[in-house]
Amino acid sequence: MGIPVAQMWTVTSYVVRQKLAGRKRYPLVLMLEPLFRCNLACAGCGKIQYPAHVLKRELTPEECFKAVDECGAPMVSIPGGEPLLHPRIGEIVEGLTARGKYVYLCTNALLLKEKIDQFKPSRHLTFSVHMDGQREHHDFAVCREGGYDIAVEGIREAVKRGFRVTTNTTLFDGADAKSVRAFFDEMMALGVEGMMLSPGYSYDKAPDQQHFLGKSKTKKLFRKILSNRSKGWRFNQSPLFLEYLMGHRHYACTPWGMPTYNVFGWQKPCYLLQDGYADSFAELMESTAWDKYGTESGNPRCANCMVHSGYEASAVDDTFGSVKGFLATVRATLFGGAYADPAALEALEEKAAPASHLGLVQVNVPASRATPAAPAETARA
Amino acid sequence: MPQETKAMPSDADAGETAPGVQHENLQGWIPPLATDDEIRLALEKAFDYRGDVTATLKDGRTIEGYVFDRRADGPSLAQCAVRLLPRDGGGKVSVLYAEIARLEFTGRDTAAGKSWETWVKKYVEKKQAGESNIRLEPEKLD
Repeated sequence: MGIPVAQMWTVTSYVVRQKLAGRKRYPLVLMLEPLFRCNLACAGCGKIQYPAHVLKRELTPEECFKAVDECGAPMVSIPGGEPLLHPRIGEIVEGLTARGKYVYLCTNALLLKEKIDQFKPSRHLTFSVHMDGQREHHDFAVCREGGYDIAVEGIREAVKRGFRVTTNTTLFDGADAKSVRAFFDEMMALGVEGMMLSPGYSYDKAPDQQHFLGKSKTKKLFRKILSNRSKGWRFNQSPLFLEYLMGHRHYACTPWGMPTYNVFGWQKPCYLLQDGYADSFAELMESTAWDKYGTESGNPRCANCMVHSGYEASAVDDTFGSVKGFLATVRATLFGGAYADPAALEALEEKAAPASHLGLVQVNVPASRATPAAPAETARA
Repeated sequence: MPQETKAMPSDADAGETAPGVQHENLQGWIPPLATDDEIRLALEKAFDYRGDVTATLKDGRTIEGYVFDRRADGPSLAQCAVRLLPRDGGGKVSVLYAEIARLEFTGRDTAAGKSWETWVKKYVEKKQAGESNIRLEPEKLD
């Protein structure tokens, strides 16, 4: 299990309360962006393309607390920009955990060792370290040689000090499934609590508009990666969301599930799209034309999105919205499962065809690390 | 110079690669604002733009800043507003469409030239030159 029981209980009781109250739309995770500044310059990033005067701005702790109180979601994810660049990030995190929120501080970990004394280990705080794959892949993706090694040092230090640590990985067109699986082994060996995954999304304002996965490729890639799982892998995500990425489930988007607050206000309609801003959470919920977004809406900007910020909340809602969903979640959570799939195993052995633009090569992974655990081998036989 | 979304595949599930947005080169553009439609179009582009714009109001004031929101559903220009974060560091400013006399895309397009291909080319060149510790640095903010 990748998520502690206490956190699962908090989320479960919250969702059940929303259901009993008859709320059709409720937030699950607040995406709190206290600044857009970053110490990386990843090519194609769609999150930080702003003039310098915007990049210099940051939310105060008081603004963060007000947003969290308004929203009411039990979990708060703090992405950015790089949140460790915020001069008062320790104060922000302390205030949120004191409110009983489960905080995921999303960081590239370049500053984690240096800033770690600002934080105290708590079951309410998780460092979610952005890792885009094995050393060569990560460094190339974040446009910084040596970035992987610094991040790994940060992870080791945080684990050593008793912090909860997860990884979060974004996969783009051309990702090498075999290498990603070997990367999972590496991360689990570091002692992280679990891993999080998502396909990339083509932000409207990103300089790069060509290297994002369509739905078909997303499902093929995640089926290769997540079938025939190693017993040692743990994911800090809804198991039904992972099944959705593998193409085993169909969900409609829940854009209100992970609302975003930043220096502009409450972002309409979701973490990925910017169709304007509301000044309060209530205004966001009331004034957003939700039916214009999501897969079913026909909105071309949503057509290829399978990102966690839209669909993980759908998976969680499924867990508590149907007996079938609940039982599937219990089964996957308690008993895991290798998701044996001989065809996916065969596909894994095919030479990856890197996307022509990437210049990434298939990393040669020792067979012992790339092959799945016993159940999958049985299935292949 | 509209910013258009590329045609999407008829069946998104069959699409191998997600179509992105084609961005125009708007830096330095001074849009015509003779008609209501032109004003609405220009402010929609200002909202999509990744740099600052400068609005000159009918009373002669100018505001330079980043357009982060527009509320364009009103039936008349007097009922539509654009919202900016001023370059000089002040709080959010709201300006009615009807008050705007001139618009210019004065700021640099902050995403221009930052494509993946540019990085790959730079990386390959540096690698071939025997360099190590290759990286892209964030731009200086001052």
